Amino acid sequence: MKLATAGLALVLALGLTACASSSSSGTSGSSAPSGSTLTIADVAPFSGPDAALGPTYLATCYGATTAINSAGGVLGHKLACKSVDTRGDPADAVPAVNQMFATTSSLALVIGCTSDEAASVVPIINSHKMAMFCMTGQSEFDHVHFPYFYRLVPPDLEESYAMVAIAQELHYKRIALAFGNDIGSQTFIQPAIGALKKAGITLTTNQTLDLSATTFRTEAEAIIQSHPDAIMTEALGSTDPTLFSEIKQLNGGKMIPIIGTSAAISPPFFKAAAAAVGASAFAADFHADNLVVESSGPAYRAFSKALLAEQGKVPGATGNFTTYLSAPGGVHLYDGINLAALAMIMSKSTSPAVYGPDIIKIGDGVPGATVVYSFAQGAAALKAGKAIRYEGPGGPTSFDSYHDSTGIFQVDTYSSSGAVNVVGSLTATQLRALSG
Amino acid sequence: MNSYYVINLLIYAAVDGMACLGLSQQFGVGGVTNFGFIIFQAAGGYTAAILALPPDSANGGFQSYIGGWNLPFPVPWIGAAVAGGLIALPFTFLVGRRLRGDFAAVGLLVTAVLLNLLATNFVPAFNGDAGLSLIPQPLQAEFIPQSSGYQWGFTVTALVLCAAVYLLLRRVTESPYGRTLRAMRDNDTVADSLGKNLLSLRTGMLVLGGAIAGLSGGVLVSYITTWSPAAWGYAETVVLFAAVIIGGTGNHRGALLGAVLVPVGFEEVTRFIPTSNNLPPNLIPSLEWVAIGLLILVFLWFRPQGVLPERKRVIALPGYQSPTAASERPPVAVSTGQAKPPVVLEATGLVREFGGVRAVDGVSLAVRQGTLTGLIGPNGAGKSTLLAILAGTLPASSGTVVYRGQDITASPAFRRARLGLVRTFQLASEFKRLTVMENLLSAVPGNRGDSLRGALAGKRYWKADETAAIARAQAILARFGLESLANDYAGDLSGGQRRLVEIMRALMAEPGMLLLDEPMAGVHPHLARRIGNELVALCREGMTILMVEHELAIMDEFCDPVAVMADGRVLAEGTMADLRRRSEVVEAYLAG
Amino acid sequence: MALFASSVGFGLVTASVLAVAAVGFTLQFGVTDVLNLAYGAIMIAGAFVAYVVNQAGLSVWVGLLAAIAVCSLGSVLVNAGVYAPFQRRGTSAITMVIVSLGMTLIIEFGVEAVAGGTSVSYAMSQGTTFHAAGLILTTVQLVIIGVSLAVMAGVHTLLRYTKLGKAMRATAANKTLARNCGIRTGRVMTVTWAITGALCGLAGVVFAMDSGSFNPTSTDIFLVLILAAVFLGGPGQAYGAMLGAAVIGIATEVSAAFIAPDYKYVVAFVALLVMLGLRPTGLLGRPA
Repeated sequence: MKLATAGLALVLALGLTACASSSSSGTSGSSAPSGSTLTIADVAPFSGPDAALGPTYLATCYGATTAINSAGGVLGHKLACKSVDTRGDPADAVPAVNQMFATTSSLALVIGCTSDEAASVVPIINSHKMAMFCMTGQSEFDHVHFPYFYRLVPPDLEESYAMVAIAQELHYKRIALAFGNDIGSQTFIQPAIGALKKAGITLTTNQTLDLSATTFRTEAEAIIQSHPDAIMTEALGSTDPTLFSEIKQLNGGKMIPIIGTSAAISPPFFKAAAAAVGASAFAADFHADNLVVESSGPAYRAFSKALLAEQGKVPGATGNFTTYLSAPGGVHLYDGINLAALAMIMSKSTSPAVYGPDIIKIGDGVPGATVVYSFAQGAAALKAGKAIRYEGPGGPTSFDSYHDSTGIFQVDTYSSSGAVNVVGSLTATQLRALSG
Repeated sequence: MNSYYVINLLIYAAVDGMACLGLSQQFGVGGVTNFGFIIFQAAGGYTAAILALPPDSANGGFQSYIGGWNLPFPVPWIGAAVAGGLIALPFTFLVGRRLRGDFAAVGLLVTAVLLNLLATNFVPAFNGDAGLSLIPQPLQAEFIPQSSGYQWGFTVTALVLCAAVYLLLRRVTESPYGRTLRAMRDNDTVADSLGKNLLSLRTGMLVLGGAIAGLSGGVLVSYITTWSPAAWGYAETVVLFAAVIIGGTGNHRGALLGAVLVPVGFEEVTRFIPTSNNLPPNLIPSLEWVAIGLLILVFLWFRPQGVLPERKRVIALPGYQSPTAASERPPVAVSTGQAKPPVVLEATGLVREFGGVRAVDGVSLAVRQGTLTGLIGPNGAGKSTLLAILAGTLPASSGTVVYRGQDITASPAFRRARLGLVRTFQLASEFKRLTVMENLLSAVPGNRGDSLRGALAGKRYWKADETAAIARAQAILARFGLESLANDYAGDLSGGQRRLVEIMRALMAEPGMLLLDEPMAGVHPHLARRIGNELVALCREGMTILMVEHELAIMDEFCDPVAVMADGRVLAEGTMADLRRRSEVVEAYLAG
Repeated sequence: MALFASSVGFGLVTASVLAVAAVGFTLQFGVTDVLNLAYGAIMIAGAFVAYVVNQAGLSVWVGLLAAIAVCSLGSVLVNAGVYAPFQRRGTSAITMVIVSLGMTLIIEFGVEAVAGGTSVSYAMSQGTTFHAAGLILTTVQLVIIGVSLAVMAGVHTLLRYTKLGKAMRATAANKTLARNCGIRTGRVMTVTWAITGALCGLAGVVFAMDSGSFNPTSTDIFLVLILAAVFLGGPGQAYGAMLGAAVIGIATEVSAAFIAPDYKYVVAFVALLVMLGLRPTGLLGRPA
């Protein structure tokens, strides 16, 4: 009797394993058979509270891979995109990723991995020796070695400093904080408080918003009554828009200036905020930090062409794709895919164990390297035997020993039609001056 | 195809299996509906995490949490089980006797939501919504956690633990203690009246199920190396309930089957639906939840016992004794000319007030040993209420009850039963999903196997007591001629047979005094007389009985003395002949 | 001090929304003995019905009427199709709760399957903001408070002065006795589901008007607040629900002002648990 339960399970396991070919860890990294299609997996929430993220990254993937395919593909392979729904929950993300590895032949790269699931899936993806470009600003990835992990978005710590730097530039003397209580947002608070102190700005009130609540009138009133010059906020989902509309109501119809994070630079966010307080009212006094992204030039033109061509072709990605052109989920993942594709060509292998180091070389560039602004350019240069340095719409990269690259910050605003404008930039010195 | 996905599925099956087993024990066996079940798994997960993690300044200090003692395997898993069990204790106030089952369930659900909220917002405890990550895996210094060998080793360990939990719970459930739990599940008021301490039983179930759930949380956390509030909302509890309901409530193998079908099978199947379609991305997950809701309803309607229903426990009757032998009773010392027999039960000035109405209005009554006292009166006179107060099912608003010289006014029903004061009920109160034999055995006091410790000690510990109890039960069955029904479900019997089972069961409790609430109601007159004769015989053997009845003929034939109640008061007491002559009695019956 | 006054004002709005919902819930429970946890899901379904009407170009107040009708009918159908058959079978109270949980999943995620998971809001203006005695309220919020008061007055009249109301009270107190007195309890139950279903739809739309934006899972937490209000006042007691709603509504907003705002619901939940532990019949119920 007692053997039956355990025994049955083991037999099942062995039986299923029997259909597995040589199962040493990380076989998914070996060179794909020639002519086959390589898969780029978008590992992100497609359902749950952050369901907007997965399709956004998928749109980027479509844009990048279409451009790569029309430039001849990689080593004779075409690229295709696959979505892997983590459901925004670390326990659900684990089997999702494991299933992906089990059922995806010719997996070449992973993109996505947001703060919702990074903590549980990055170690798994890393142990499968698969390269990943992740969208999480969580601090553990600032200091822990995951050789296959690459990040082009700023750590939350830096963003906090950037937000305060914006407040300094706009000469705000009194700031209120309103951050959500979820993973992605709560890491901003302590660094922000420290930075405000260093900058000599008064913290008028610190309201933590419960994302499952549907009204925040009391919090809004508390903020108003503390008479801030501006509010620093990140509270995803419907919370920020609700908060904005209630502040406007209670403040006699006037909005208080808002400083947001790079997460606010996204089409769904603008749409919701505009619906809540009116597009022009919202855009009139809104700033957000964002990693410097190009808004003109050869890199931008290639990117823009590639991405806008996919409008309407990406399941689940509604909304105006022009807004993706400055969104972190658009720009940085596009760059990531290009870097990986070029590295594959350079190292003549689709295995991340082989091409990984070339990502760094192409991203940081060796002395004398030719600067290229798109995959097509880079592929051509490599064919001609040149060393290249890739500079995409996300600007030049500079990877540290943890494969994190954070660049210069810029200050973004919205126009009332939702177009993103760059109105200034922040230097590394400014940020260092605020760090604790 | 590589094996990591299979490993993942097996580990999740083991973890969900353990969780479902714990829930099956609480809900399917013990009848405790714990909508906050996921909290216990969460507590186990967090505990294993903070025991295994290094101090929170490590890894760059980006997390803040309590604990962080970097303890080696298996301490985190043990700690997880202990935490799961301990956190059950504060819940006991919700499942105590006084709260309606569905209210308690709601309270538990709210507690789950509340604790999730607190864990999310009180960051210093468990790092808030971000939760804990980089949790060290067991023995990760000695082995390479990513290697195939380690992963398979982990899988086997998890499966073995699941099997061990299954065996442990089987030992608990297939014991006299398990029978008591199932009796409580079937009808808790009756179990209470037979001497079962409901609060202690439910606490035991909460702690046991909680410890198992905690262990499952510890194992899960060690595998996925991260744990946050998103992983344990109250939706997870609903999934587990669906699993247990579908798999089979009250059957531990059903719980395992449910775990494989629902949290593992159902949730994983949808991942294989090709994603290259044009459906909106949230459609499939939403439909999954709709499907789970539908499955719950469909199963509860068409097959509430689940895929693997609870097995009938058939008890072999050792040797068949002929009825005549069993009906031989030891000769009774007939005490003629003796002084009046001692008072066994004395009630003084009992009052029961409810919503401004006095159901019992100052009743004083003395019942003497060896008498079959009758209690009659018109509808609404307060007879059943008085009985309930004497038995302890209802509290008295004022007055005292003394049993064999001991003031039991403040004693709860189960304690009175243990003292020997046992009652039956007006409405059908057999334990429906127990066999007749089990119904009788459930009432036996003092069985060594009828406690959690006794059950865990195993069959050898309580076999002797059980065998003796079976023999007694068989004797009583023979006396009432129902041996052939011993292994039938009590719920399947006819009305009269169920009535007999109830009386036999009350006798199994070794009562000194019986309080019978309309034992002949709805029973065939022939059978009623047989019951009456048996009762008289019992009284001759020294039993004391107080019987509420409607039929005056029954009073005539069997009862002496008889008390008459009307409007909450005792009008008169005496033989039926006496009472018939008293005008106030006649009037009460005509008027009432 | 100003914050206190304004948070009391906000509390009144929350309490108003809660009152409409809680009264409906408690009447449902009192008369039919079903702890209908699907109440929150039917509320949000009503909110989305009004949204669809609103998106079609009509005023959200028209949508309100549509929601009332749909939810009323829907509740009657849910009872006739699911709850009543189970009850007729003699299903235990606790299994009925599980049944209602199953219905919650079906309705809530059915709405999500159709409407999607992203948040939406009504196209309506909040009207001018009034400042008076430290309270800050918009026109819409005042209307919500007014609607709530009207509902409470209506329920009071129904229960006290109409034959139907008395029949409902009798059925709630003791169904068998009521039937023996000649009350047609079956019909009373159906009408109760219709009326409380209407209240549920009304509550859903008012809830959505009060929130900046909403999505199919918005009422998950709100249902717990409803339970808190209902159990605080006494399950089955309509006046208790009104009292409970007032207490819970104001307490949550005031505690948001003075304790940390992310803990504002903790107060409500703890109140509910304390009530269940100490006095399950609630403040206005009679102790058993």
